Amino acid sequence: MIGNFSLMRALPVALLLAALSVSGWATASPGIALLNQAALQSAKAPRAVLLAVTRAGERLVAVGERGIVLLSDDSGQSWRQARVPVSVSLTAVQFVDAEQGWAVGHMGVILRSTDGGQTWVKQLDGVAAAHLALVSAQQGNDAKRLKDAQWLVADGPDKPFLDLYFSDRRNGYVVGAYGLILHTTDGGDSWQPWMQQVDNPEGLNLYGIRPAGGALFIVGERGLLLRSVDNGGSFQALESPYDGSFFGLQGSPAGELVAFGLRGNAYWSGDQGLTWRRVETGLEVALSSGTQLPDGALILASQAGDLLLSPDRGRSLRHLTGPAGASIAGLVAAPDGSLISVGLSGVTRLKHNLSSAQR
Amino acid sequence: MNDNNPSLEQQVVIARLEDFDPRSGNLGERAIFNHRPWVVLFCLLVTLVLGYQASKIGLNASFEKTIPTSHPYVANFLERRSELSGLGNSIRIAVQIKDGSIFDKDYLDVLARLNDEIYLLPGVDKPYMKSLWTPTTRWTAVTEEGLDGGTVIPDTYDGSAASLEQVRTNVARSGEIGQLVAGNFQSSVIFVPLLEINPVTGKALDAGELSRQLEALRDKYQNERIQIHITGFTKIIGDLIAGLAQVMLFFVIAVLVTVTVLYWYTRCVRSTALVVLCSLVAVLWQIGLLATLGYDLDPYSALVPFLVFAIGMSHGAQKMNGIMQDIGRGTHRVVAARYTFRRLFAAGMTALLCDAVGFAVLMVIKIQVIQDLAITASIGVAVLIFTNLILLPILLSYIGVGAKAAERSLRAETAELKANVKHPLWSFLDLFTRRSWAYGACLVGLALAIGGFAVSLQLKIGDLDPGAPELRPDSRYNRDAAFMTQNYAASSDIFVVMVKTPEDQCTRYPTLAAVDALAWQLEQLPGVESTNSMAALSKIAAAGYNEGNFKWYELIPNDGALGAVQTRAPRELFNQGCSLLSLYVYLADHKADTLERVVQTSEAFIAQQRLPDVKFMLAAGSAGIEAATNIVVKKAMREMLFWVYGAVILLCWVTFRSWRAVLAAVLPLMLTSILCEALMVGLGMGVKVATLPVIALGVGIGVDYALYVLSVILTHMRAGATLSEAYYRALLFTGKVVLLTGITLAIAVATWAFSPIKFQADMGILLAFMFLVNMLGALILLPALAYFLLPQRLFVKKPEVAGALQPVGEG
Repeated sequence: MIGNFSLMRALPVALLLAALSVSGWATASPGIALLNQAALQSAKAPRAVLLAVTRAGERLVAVGERGIVLLSDDSGQSWRQARVPVSVSLTAVQFVDAEQGWAVGHMGVILRSTDGGQTWVKQLDGVAAAHLALVSAQQGNDAKRLKDAQWLVADGPDKPFLDLYFSDRRNGYVVGAYGLILHTTDGGDSWQPWMQQVDNPEGLNLYGIRPAGGALFIVGERGLLLRSVDNGGSFQALESPYDGSFFGLQGSPAGELVAFGLRGNAYWSGDQGLTWRRVETGLEVALSSGTQLPDGALILASQAGDLLLSPDRGRSLRHLTGPAGASIAGLVAAPDGSLISVGLSGVTRLKHNLSSAQR
Repeated sequence: MNDNNPSLEQQVVIARLEDFDPRSGNLGERAIFNHRPWVVLFCLLVTLVLGYQASKIGLNASFEKTIPTSHPYVANFLERRSELSGLGNSIRIAVQIKDGSIFDKDYLDVLARLNDEIYLLPGVDKPYMKSLWTPTTRWTAVTEEGLDGGTVIPDTYDGSAASLEQVRTNVARSGEIGQLVAGNFQSSVIFVPLLEINPVTGKALDAGELSRQLEALRDKYQNERIQIHITGFTKIIGDLIAGLAQVMLFFVIAVLVTVTVLYWYTRCVRSTALVVLCSLVAVLWQIGLLATLGYDLDPYSALVPFLVFAIGMSHGAQKMNGIMQDIGRGTHRVVAARYTFRRLFAAGMTALLCDAVGFAVLMVIKIQVIQDLAITASIGVAVLIFTNLILLPILLSYIGVGAKAAERSLRAETAELKANVKHPLWSFLDLFTRRSWAYGACLVGLALAIGGFAVSLQLKIGDLDPGAPELRPDSRYNRDAAFMTQNYAASSDIFVVMVKTPEDQCTRYPTLAAVDALAWQLEQLPGVESTNSMAALSKIAAAGYNEGNFKWYELIPNDGALGAVQTRAPRELFNQGCSLLSLYVYLADHKADTLERVVQTSEAFIAQQRLPDVKFMLAAGSAGIEAATNIVVKKAMREMLFWVYGAVILLCWVTFRSWRAVLAAVLPLMLTSILCEALMVGLGMGVKVATLPVIALGVGIGVDYALYVLSVILTHMRAGATLSEAYYRALLFTGKVVLLTGITLAIAVATWAFSPIKFQADMGILLAFMFLVNMLGALILLPALAYFLLPQRLFVKKPEVAGALQPVGEG
């Protein structure tokens, strides 16, 4: 009967969670046209699958499937599509100021914009990334590393980057599937494989990277928690309070942080990740993203569209009243105080000042 | 066409049968009239046999007959039909609660009982039936350990508030919102897949019977709180069959109305009854022959008995009129019948030939239902030759006509011919043979033609109404369909692109990437709401396989990962052997523009497609078939107009031997055709399988009028009369009959306007319009055109042409 329905429109979130073990992803893939194909300008872009949203100064920038990048200069009331040289799903976006930003996505794509998101240049893709890893491995003497890099090349560009963090216009990290992590010190002109510096022997997926109180944290699959206290020079595994996957984290300058993921699980740490305390959310669905409101309050969102508010930087979370809206993959506060979320059905704009109204 | 024998010779009045030489007349006449009892007996026997056969005629509404099976799109679909499981036949029953929500004990009880009853209906594919109560409706959730799940209505359900709350929670995580459960929680669906062949009985699904059973269930469970909405192709067919039975009632009305008109014209019970009887016999024979030849009556060919009856009535009226006039003059009824046969058999044949041309031209359209219509109608016309040109005069020769009516008819005729005072209507029509009125009529005609043409440019191809276009927009079915579209993520207009790949290769990345690219291109088109395909599912599945994280939403270029999706993919997206993919394109409507855009974009994509061993093919799904039908209909419309006008012009030329006369006869027809198209625009009808035959029938039957009127005008003008005199003669001889024919034909088909079947109503309105306008064209525009095209000097200069003025079909 599904034949008569749009799966896209009525996405059965629970069904798609059917976790089948996928073994032996081995077949080499031919050239991927999408890596060199400019994103189609589409009137449907605001309702397409969007995976992340951020601010570039006063501007909102959302990214998603098919290389779609949407810009809004009026706090999300209207959107226009940017020119993007690739057509793959973009998974994360960050701007360090009103002009300078990066977006990452599937098939190893890294894009850069220097004009507040209006135009984008491809800095790297999966083919180049694999090559990079191979060259780097060949320079060392580690047989396993070389073998991994050779596999990377043979697999083709099938691995996504899932998050990124830039501390300024020059220094940044991108993280992704199977423990992929790259580091740049020149704004992305060149990238170094950083897997060797990360304590992730199983090559678990890295889902989020964020700073908190001077340290840099990475969260990932199966409760993976990594911390770097040397400005990203190396990442050490932390003892994890949870064996399910973390999908993201939010940190504060004071060093408090909250990591969240599968089945409504959220954990708070007030000591740079040494100890964690479970935060009750009352949710059974995965938490996908979080953002900080201008007044310092923290908002977390579930994939099903629930919103959780924390007035105390993650120590406690309160379910915001009202029915769950559209699914949420990312959210950010707009300049006018409204909350912008993106997800499987595109952009949603929640009316003014959630924070003050709901408290 | 009575009295339009150009020779116009008055037969000798023979009052006593003994004075008549039975050896006179041609072979045919002698063969028939000298063996009258045998002819009557033969006809009686045939009537009995065919009447018995006619009782066995089936009502049917086959989908396949209404589509152009030879078009490559449809051929592609039919060839792979068995592998396209998503397009299988199914019924969807939405059970709606008016107040409150579906999480209500009473509601779920009713749903359970309805569910159980439907489960037991013959033809239901039981294992695949789905509703809140079937064990196949499950919820699933991801946990750290893996999957958790269960049936949406738990085994422990007891109707308590707590268990209702449990159901609510399970529904929310079942992923069925928008599919089995409406977003507003006020209705849920019972999905009923159907088996085309019942495995127990081996019989094909009886749509009419199933539809009646569903209606019975609807009556049983529907009340002020619970509303039931049923949609699905089989239900449409069922409703069509029910509507068809109702249409048969209209036949009775058509008969009654035409009888009234005829009686008003003749004032003779005896002969009116005979004419009606013969016309009904014609219909009976026709239906009997159809049943014998294995045809069913479908909603299209159900038109033909109406036409056959009406044409029979008008021909019968003319026969009767001739006999009546002769009897009025004092001729014995047998002799009168023979005279009339002599005078009118050829003319009647000519007219029937014209009608036959109108029907036969329909054979060029490669859609079976229209070809069936053409065959059915041809049989009907052939039957009319027997019943109304042969049987009717013979029966009249036995029974005669009422004496008063005969006198009245003669009196009227002689009075009109001799008196100086013309009937006001004839005087009015005569005005159009004068300069100023002729100018006026031609200018108005020209203005109408230009205006009508301007409007007709907006004529659309295809069906324009939402829902099931076969049924009326406000029909029960279409209201149910609108309910479904409103409350569920469902579209009834589905266009399917089929993608053929080598065996077991359907999930290769390049193939899926191409499917995905085409899907995204199509989604950009106005009128395309969404798409679904293996590629789209693979993106969702990528997220699903990765703990449900949305960030994995992409077609991962890894054949291992893509292949793994198969195990979880619904069968409608690909076939058993993984060699055929279906790309579903859900449309907002089935307007021709929408379909054309989808076809053009797909064709352009296919033309640039370079993947080896992968073949993209159009098109399946309701909209795919409709797109093909539109293409065929659009092409057929031009072809058909070409053929029907070609045939009519040829026929007119053979009859008149004068291109000027041909113009005078054909120009009013063209005006009617143009106005008919403008009317279609005005009524919001598109050119479709149902309206296409109307255009041909309208022209084919419409030219009769021009033939009757113009042939008499020409005869008299060639004999030296002025246009005005000739036209007056024509009015007296044939004008009345043209009026009568126009009105009876129009009434007979106009009853269709009340049909519950939308396209029958469309056909009825258009045919009635064409018959009436053609009649007016022949009586008003034709003499006006004749004023300019047939000036009297032509006949003075070339008297030798007059010899050729015989109607065709003599002997």
